[in-house]
Amino acid sequence: MKTRGAIKFVVWAALAVALCSYALYAHETGKIDQMYYHSTKLDGYAVNTKEFFNATKENPALLQIGKADEINGLMAVPVKKGDLLPKGANGVIEKKIVDEGKRAKVQGDKLVVMVPWQIKESKGFKYRDRFIHKGVKTDPWSGVWNVAMTIGIGLCLGFMAEGLTDMLGWKIKKIEHFGH
Amino acid sequence: MFDFTVAGHVVPIFLLVLTGFTVGVVGGFIGVGGGYMVTPALIVFGFPGYMASGTDACHIAGKSVISSIRHRQLGNIDWTIALSMVGGTMLGVELGVRLLVYTKNIGLSGVVLLAASVAVMLGLFIYTQVETQKSHKKLTADRKAGKEIGREVKVSTLPLFFQRIPIMPIIKARKARLVISMWVIVIVGVFTGVLAGFLGVGGGFIRVPALVYVVGTTSHLAVGTDLVEIIVSGGYGALRQSMEGNVDFMAVFFMIIGAMMGAQFGSLATSFVRGPAIRYILSYSLILATVGAAMRLVYVLTGGTAEWLAFIAVVFTLGEMVFLCLFICTLVWFAVRHQNGKTVPEWVPPLVVTA
Repeated sequence: MKTRGAIKFVVWAALAVALCSYALYAHETGKIDQMYYHSTKLDGYAVNTKEFFNATKENPALLQIGKADEINGLMAVPVKKGDLLPKGANGVIEKKIVDEGKRAKVQGDKLVVMVPWQIKESKGFKYRDRFIHKGVKTDPWSGVWNVAMTIGIGLCLGFMAEGLTDMLGWKIKKIEHFGH
Repeated sequence: MFDFTVAGHVVPIFLLVLTGFTVGVVGGFIGVGGGYMVTPALIVFGFPGYMASGTDACHIAGKSVISSIRHRQLGNIDWTIALSMVGGTMLGVELGVRLLVYTKNIGLSGVVLLAASVAVMLGLFIYTQVETQKSHKKLTADRKAGKEIGREVKVSTLPLFFQRIPIMPIIKARKARLVISMWVIVIVGVFTGVLAGFLGVGGGFIRVPALVYVVGTTSHLAVGTDLVEIIVSGGYGALRQSMEGNVDFMAVFFMIIGAMMGAQFGSLATSFVRGPAIRYILSYSLILATVGAAMRLVYVLTGGTAEWLAFIAVVFTLGEMVFLCLFICTLVWFAVRHQNGKTVPEWVPPLVVTA
């Protein structure tokens, strides 16, 4: 029983470590981000919202407008509905918002962001309405990837724990539901 | 600290591991996903509401796999009931989501959602609490009379009514030792699925009482069987939420690491107790969640003027998570003390097993 438990533990622990390492690798290399921030569902400017989170009306952020495959720093890449997002983008400032000019506006070759976030309310919760996630379309396959990884890691960790208790010789008996 | 680039927040890893652990203990013990506890916790950590809800749905699926593996080893799963219910649950969840979209379109979503949550949970709490107290009294009386006490004691006669419904096909659930029309199980799945889909939760806190009081399984079998249902309904919910872009996988990952330890403890803890102990903790979980939802309902109905109510509701929900976890740990500690012949409070012996 203990030997079988040890084999079970080692096999499932190895699989768990492999899956967990792959998950961390996917995060570190930006694979998860690329699946999430995949394409755009509206016309506007792809941006990295972290770069101008502290901007205010008095001290707005000036983003350089231009085509690029990757966003580094204060950049705004014009995108059309359905375009793939450039690497590093985590939100799209809709053209309509830019045209309104209340939160962001175009000045020459710069996109001026004045209100990067505002307080809104939904279902009894107040939240910061930011540009992050706005206009972003996730790769539909990321759903399958997420669920497969979640179930896979759950299975490996569950059987690993079962193997561990068997290996340690803990006698886990089946519950007698109708006995005493 | 870890930068959750998808959710757009930097949160300490230990907070997510701790949340996973705590909800793992509670979920493994009473057979719920714990969505009504995790979503507010993630919102407090700074996740946007939609991201909190989607991330929670995904974490529930993974955590339920871990708990189900241990419950399978403990013999707490009736596969006949679980598989009969799956189709009904999926259909129900889809209907519930569509009902939610409809109420949202007519502008009733917030109030209807909260009012329905409060009504359902309050009703379930009252029935479960009254029945469990009667069972506890019966256990105490039998123990004093020197009778042998079974693992499960129920005083509800509702299951007998449902088991007598003679609509084919009739199925025989060997593990649960009951014979019942498959349609009863399917309809329970649809009904609990509608509520789960409408309320945006896994539905365990509705399905466990339904399995006990409608289908007639023991509390232990209801917990294990429900966790299998949650893998299916949670997995489906996780897929939908992921495709909508509402899931931060790395947050799910860290919560599952915590849940691995918590779910083991919660699942194994069921072997120390009798059925009514599980139902007691389920009912406390229901009333605490009801109070949290009621506070948010009052906040919405008062037009959001009493801001402190929304804050207290979130704090209350988080407190509930910790309270239930500590309650289960204490119960197991008392059970071990009782097994070793040491003194325990008077209410404990009827609720725990001695060997």
